[in-house]
Amino acid sequence: MKTTAAPLDATLTVDASRPADSLATAGPRDRKPLTWKKRSTPWVYMAPAMFVLLLMTVAPAIFIFYSAFRNDKILGGVGKFVGLDNFITAVTNASVQHAFLITFGFVAVAVILEMILGFALALPLAAQTRANKVGAALMLLPFAVTPAVAAMVFKQLLNPNYGWVGYYLGVFGFPKGIDLLGDPTSAWIVLVILDMWQWTPFIALILMAGLQSLPGEPREAAMVDGATPWQMFRHITFPAMVPFIAIAAVLRTIQAFKTFDSFKILTGGGPGESTEIINLGIYRVGLQSFNVGLACALGVVFLIILSLLIPFMLRIIGRRADPEEM
Amino acid sequence: MSTTSSTSRGGTVARVIIGRTFLWTWLLIGLVPLLFMFITSIKPAGIANQIPPAWIFQPTLDNYASVLSAGDGKSESFGQLLTNSAIVSLGATALAIVVGVPAAYALTMRDFRARKGLSSWILSTYMFPPIVAVIPVFVFAGKLGLMDTYPALIIPYAAFNLPIVVWILRSSILQLPYEIQEAAMVDGASTWEVLRRIIWPLLVPSVATAAVLTIVLSWNEFLFALSLTRSGAKTAPVGLQQFTGMYGTDWGSITAAATLIVAPILVLMVVLRRQMVAGLTFGAVK
Repeated sequence: MKTTAAPLDATLTVDASRPADSLATAGPRDRKPLTWKKRSTPWVYMAPAMFVLLLMTVAPAIFIFYSAFRNDKILGGVGKFVGLDNFITAVTNASVQHAFLITFGFVAVAVILEMILGFALALPLAAQTRANKVGAALMLLPFAVTPAVAAMVFKQLLNPNYGWVGYYLGVFGFPKGIDLLGDPTSAWIVLVILDMWQWTPFIALILMAGLQSLPGEPREAAMVDGATPWQMFRHITFPAMVPFIAIAAVLRTIQAFKTFDSFKILTGGGPGESTEIINLGIYRVGLQSFNVGLACALGVVFLIILSLLIPFMLRIIGRRADPEEM
Repeated sequence: MSTTSSTSRGGTVARVIIGRTFLWTWLLIGLVPLLFMFITSIKPAGIANQIPPAWIFQPTLDNYASVLSAGDGKSESFGQLLTNSAIVSLGATALAIVVGVPAAYALTMRDFRARKGLSSWILSTYMFPPIVAVIPVFVFAGKLGLMDTYPALIIPYAAFNLPIVVWILRSSILQLPYEIQEAAMVDGASTWEVLRRIIWPLLVPSVATAAVLTIVLSWNEFLFALSLTRSGAKTAPVGLQQFTGMYGTDWGSITAAATLIVAPILVLMVVLRRQMVAGLTFGAVK
């Protein structure tokens, strides 16, 4: 409580020249006692949060838009203006195109599979039984695990020499010492399975909460009218679940585009460049090769693509989460 | 009619059985990586990565003692990395709450015209991909001499969790009856006093939820910690990756370190399960 008081008092004293913000001093002059007497008050309260957010989103965005037109290197001193060179490289380079393509592919495949499986898990989990309380807690576990740790544990499980997966697959007749991360196709399957292991529970828990919030009457009425379970799902449960499905899909899509840890640790983009999604590409170009200009151009392209998702997010989350309705 | 209803009942029972089987199969298979991690961490030296896997052994805490002890050729103990993680997570949480509570309050003020636009803007910053921020922050931190310090992680983590914090708190304030605020203002309370004496006490549970979420997400973060720290402020998840190189096949130590990272987070998440899901959906799912 003390911690919140200190910085606010500091910011409020900046406005001390104006009449103090209290009815005690405003007294009888105050005609509208129920409104905030200074227009600046909410802005003062907003200022610290806006400063932090501007510093970490808008300032970096300005920086990358500026640097994308230059050839600065982190270690090589100051570069110069190079016009659209970085963007031309970004758009024409085959491995960049590949990186964007597999990023979209990964997001689409992972999110769709997680949505389908999440729904299939939410249906039995929504029944409020004692077993399901344990089930919901167990469901949460993978989703709580630090992603970098999860990736490392998967890597150990898949180790060709000592991993459980290779050994037990061998017991069931598969070739011994199989290196699932050494082959592009199986590496992709592993990455998607890791993502599904970690994130399907998130979707299942959202949809479970949604199912539990649905009123029972329409289903009961439909049952009395002799509707089949499929008809009830198709015409009652599913339509009522659409808002929850939309929220889960939007949030999961945003998170999936941020995926970095699992790829970095499990495959590092390999074998070859087969799993180098754009997040890894930007990291490698910018922070390992220190080619800031190109990395920023890639960042600008990525940012523009992602910003197309913002209206969907605002509409879908804003409508549900906001008692005022946006 | 009766025949269709009886077949549909039979179908329902079959469906319930299939559904539950799928659910519990998923849950049990999902536990395997965690079981592997924990079991390996309590195996005595020498059998941790033995093939076929040893299932009968004398459990030991040696691996935990080994990773937590400083010295013996190691540049730092894992305890120091856990401490760094805790400092950064708690620092980010304190900052996010200190700037987030007043912001959330401002966003509920009725004659603050910009509140809807600002709420949307804050929500939209959740979209901002960390990979796009990390290069500028790397350059800024280098110029300001903040590389490998706690603030270099605390400020980004606070910023990335602010959308969640502000939206949780804002919707909690909006759910309080407005009459309480009105009554206080009629009695002559200032906006600050309303926040301090009326709203804050009622907001504490929501603040706790927002704080726990911020702690968990900061604790789990990897990209910024990997890019902006070398040794001084290095967090546990980054340290773990380097352990993997250092310890090679000493899986007992590696999994003990992994268990130490994950255990506190698992406890927090399981205890606050309902609130976690509500918080991570910005209050859209209760």
